[in-house]
Amino acid sequence: MATAERLVRSWMASEKDSEVDESVAGISSGQLTLLEIIRALGEFLTSEEDRLRTKGVEFLSSVLGRCPHERLNRQAIRVLTTFYCSKLEDLETIIPALNGLSYLVKFPNIQSAEVKDVLNAIFANVKMRALVQSTRFFVFSIVDSLIASHRDTLKEMGSTFLAGYVNLAVGEKDPRNLMLAFAIARVVLVEFDTHARIEDFFDITFCYFPITFRPPPDDPYGISADDLKQSLRLCLSATPAFGLLGIPVFLEKLTAGSPSTKRDTLHAMDVCLPVYGSTVSREFGKKIWSSLKLEIFQPTDPDTEHSALNTLQVLVRTMHTDKSQDAVSEDSITGLARDMCSECMQALKEPEKAPARAAMKVVCAFARADEISMTQNEVSNRASVVMLLTELIEACWGDATNASISQSSHSTLSPLTASKDALLGLLIVSLKAPATCLPALHGLTALVRTPELVADDELGYIVLEVSELLRKEPDEVEDVTTDTLALLSAIAGIAPHHLSSQTLPILISFLPDVTPSRDATTQRAFYWRALSSLSALCVQPQLFETLVVRLIAKLDLLCAISPTRTIDQESTTAYAHAILTALANTLDVKVSSKDVDVPKYAEQLLPHMFKLYLDAALASSEVVAIAADPRLLQVGARIIRLVSQTLNVARQEKLVAAVFAAYTQGDVKLITGGLLNSTTLFAPLHASATFTFPSYIPRQRNSFTLFSSAIVSLRKEVRMPVDNLSTFLSELVAWSDNPSSTAFQREAAVPHVSDFLTFQLEGYSSSALKNTSIPAEARKNAINTWISVTRALLVRSHPSANAFIDHLFELLDDSTVDWDAARAIGLLASEDVVLTKRNNAVFKILHVQKYFNAVMPRLLEGVKGSRKETAYLVALAYLINVVPKAVYVTQMPSLMPILLRGLDLDDPSIRSHIINTLSNNIEITSADKDAVSMYASTLVLAMLKNCMYSEMPDPGVRAAALKYLALLPGTVRYDLLHPYKTRVLKELAKVLDDPKRAVRKEAVIARYGMITFSDELVSFYVS
Amino acid sequence: MNGEIFNANPTVYASKRSTRKSKFEAGQSLWIDEQYQPEFSSESEVEPIDEDEIFDLIRSIADPEHPNSLEELRVVSAEQIKMGDNHIMVEFTPTVPHCGMSTLIGLSIRVRLMRSLPQRFKVDIRVKPGSHQSELAVNKQLNDKERVAAALENSALVETLEKCLSLLDDTTAGSKC
Repeated sequence: MATAERLVRSWMASEKDSEVDESVAGISSGQLTLLEIIRALGEFLTSEEDRLRTKGVEFLSSVLGRCPHERLNRQAIRVLTTFYCSKLEDLETIIPALNGLSYLVKFPNIQSAEVKDVLNAIFANVKMRALVQSTRFFVFSIVDSLIASHRDTLKEMGSTFLAGYVNLAVGEKDPRNLMLAFAIARVVLVEFDTHARIEDFFDITFCYFPITFRPPPDDPYGISADDLKQSLRLCLSATPAFGLLGIPVFLEKLTAGSPSTKRDTLHAMDVCLPVYGSTVSREFGKKIWSSLKLEIFQPTDPDTEHSALNTLQVLVRTMHTDKSQDAVSEDSITGLARDMCSECMQALKEPEKAPARAAMKVVCAFARADEISMTQNEVSNRASVVMLLTELIEACWGDATNASISQSSHSTLSPLTASKDALLGLLIVSLKAPATCLPALHGLTALVRTPELVADDELGYIVLEVSELLRKEPDEVEDVTTDTLALLSAIAGIAPHHLSSQTLPILISFLPDVTPSRDATTQRAFYWRALSSLSALCVQPQLFETLVVRLIAKLDLLCAISPTRTIDQESTTAYAHAILTALANTLDVKVSSKDVDVPKYAEQLLPHMFKLYLDAALASSEVVAIAADPRLLQVGARIIRLVSQTLNVARQEKLVAAVFAAYTQGDVKLITGGLLNSTTLFAPLHASATFTFPSYIPRQRNSFTLFSSAIVSLRKEVRMPVDNLSTFLSELVAWSDNPSSTAFQREAAVPHVSDFLTFQLEGYSSSALKNTSIPAEARKNAINTWISVTRALLVRSHPSANAFIDHLFELLDDSTVDWDAARAIGLLASEDVVLTKRNNAVFKILHVQKYFNAVMPRLLEGVKGSRKETAYLVALAYLINVVPKAVYVTQMPSLMPILLRGLDLDDPSIRSHIINTLSNNIEITSADKDAVSMYASTLVLAMLKNCMYSEMPDPGVRAAALKYLALLPGTVRYDLLHPYKTRVLKELAKVLDDPKRAVRKEAVIARYGMITFSDELVSFYVS
Repeated sequence: MNGEIFNANPTVYASKRSTRKSKFEAGQSLWIDEQYQPEFSSESEVEPIDEDEIFDLIRSIADPEHPNSLEELRVVSAEQIKMGDNHIMVEFTPTVPHCGMSTLIGLSIRVRLMRSLPQRFKVDIRVKPGSHQSELAVNKQLNDKERVAAALENSALVETLEKCLSLLDDTTAGSKC
């Protein structure tokens, strides 16, 4: 008792710490109780004198601050609480009282009733603005301690607490207090129901954003700006409810702020966006993007740019994480992402400019964001995500291949490499679902095409998975075959061994050894699908080799000569034809792309082909020999021609020697590479043989097409292994003139003949062409031969060509063959399938023009005066149709009336030639206005007549006429056509019911053109 | 038309070249290639107007809201066309149930078919059952001759229609080559 009194009094006099320590020691040891001290303080605590009262409370608080917690029981705490609360009302004691309370609330024995009392008293009496920093600090630490230990009580207090606290916190400026205030605010926002007061809390937190505090030089508080920023950020990101209010603030600061503010804002957004959620992000997505775009595309400094990219990633990720959204909002998300992407793509299109690199970075940011969101997404929106992913892989690829910006390609490849495994996994999984299959295929293609990205074993994995797709039955709606093949072909260029071990076996297993029966449509579709896939994939040399071996084996099986007619010959032939076509198609692609491995197939493929065909040709006509079918021979000839085109001189000579040995001497050993040994005589060229061996000679003669296909592409240096070329040629001509030759055989022989210069034919012309005594049919054949030969002369501008042409003109007077001769004159200028660069033919430039200039005047003259004007007209029509329009454009005005006259000719091909010519020239002729306009009415009526089914049986002419009608509205003034519009529409309505689909299609277009061809122009002309 | 967009982000699908099967695929021929066959195989053979042809006519119509064709938006599909004897039933699916453009789309289909088919055909155009909130009203409007005629008197409407229909030339040219 006495001790307490002594201590109190001496403290009141001296204010020395030692007295406080002694009291605390006394309490700790049990010699003193707090109660005794309070009693000793009694007079001071209630003193009238302000100073004494303050000091009394101060002493009590100091003692309390150091007093061991277990020394106070609940009773004592209750008393002390009530005491302090009452002291809060006293202006003089408020400071020590708050100090005391700040210690008191830390005692474990304090009860919720007391907590409420303390807070209510504080809310009621403390005016923060009137207090100094240290005192306010007590208030914050009281609230802080209470939140730490009595959170439930505070929650019970509900809005009283929230409102009270907001009142306390508002306007706080000192960093030390703010640190506490932020911590409190975060807890409150996270744990309390702040829904009703969200705006208040928004005010007391966002008003500090962004923090511009700079610690004073000696840093007395030990608080840095970063600490503050950190804890404020935690507050801002405490609740999703801030989203709608907060983002506009962020955006505002972002546009207005200094670089450091911007960075701060971006960091805050990084933390906040995921909390605010996808709904808000979506709502503000566009605005955020446009702000970020500014930072990225026109960066103030690298740091800010980096932060902006980071934020963008967060944004995308946030938008994609929400799983519970409906389809419509889903679209808007991907819509925004797509907008972003496409903007970047736009920038990427100009890689030399600065934005491209920025866009690249955006896209890479996407890559990282997407990859994470993908795993969380539902199947419904995968497709679009995969699509975006593909776009960006493609973008990375396009950028990486662009050598001009090598620095950025380094930085772009790295993100892809880093996320390669994840990407691969995702894309492979996406392959399985029909909806995502197509985008996944595109994605894989893009991946595979990215240089140095996918490792070999990974390629193997891709091939394995993708090949499975080929196994499936094609889906009617989502046909992915083309894209699958594109992907596999891309891989074939890099790692063919995967394909040959995994894909080819699958495809080849679709090719049955036995032909499917006639009604097995699906099986047929399957084998053709497999064959087209194979021919698309096997362009690569290694794969092609495998393909050749496998397909030849199949063919040998199919075309085996069988003595009985057990198999369905027609469908087997069709199957073999399909296989050969696939082979030829692949070869065609290879030859066009000048693959170097083609020539070796002269040894690997051609002997097999010759064996196949010659074996069949030698078979007697009683047995079934599939390969003797002319249609198969045609494809075979195509293959032989393709290979032969690529051979060099030495190899061509070898090949020619072999085929000559076979066809002139009957020795088939050389050409078939020893595969065929036949006892039957092979003599296709033997004219008299027709009668001696009637049973199999037609087949042998048919096989002549193979001979000609090997020969047509010979280079001019290649020497023919015959003693006298002219004799051989005249024999050939005689052979082809033989009445027993079929059209097919002749077709084979003629191009060959034409390939070589010959003067022998002078005599031929007099004997065959002009000999009126032989049948017209034979003379027509002769004319066809004549065309080929003359054309061969023409293309190298040989002087004797003119003499040949003269013969044709003479024939125009002969009424039996005039038409054919006229056609021949026209066709001479046309292009030919045999005389092409690929077949090593030698061309003189402008030969067509020269020919045209030579022939045209004669024809025009003939049309005007001669009695055989029809024949001249025909020749003219054919000629004009085949020459380039630049050649005759200047003569068009004089040609127009002649052509219109030609429309009255009966022959459908003449009519369609003329109409085509007119169509081709419609722009040119309309340029000098009159040509078409003058004849507009005539033309319309003529075309209408030609497009009616009842008037013109030939659908080609009907379609051509309709095409012309469709062109008219674009070229002729409306007022000229107006009188005919109604009639044309009415007539065309009938044509819409034409039996031919292609004609109807043209009619629809023509009619549409007429319907829309109208009033605006009229009003234009009228006004 | 009034600036409101009913479906701001429709799903766009790839458009296919042609739904028509070749003779080989249809099981009519054993031979795979048609390259030797001339374009007009035989003069006497009649090719009747079929579902594929109707689809070819309407697939290229442009959507009033988007720069895509009706096919790309899957508003029309080959399966949704039925043909009877001189009777055609075209069903279309608006991209969203509240699509205010449905009538316009239906009308453009009707006008396209009106212009492109022989008069012997009766064409019915319907919204796919359950795909539009005012299905009955739209159907009634599209299949009432008087109402269609009245709509085509409205020059502003016709102008919009022509815009939808004007895709024709490009796509037909594209599908040919």
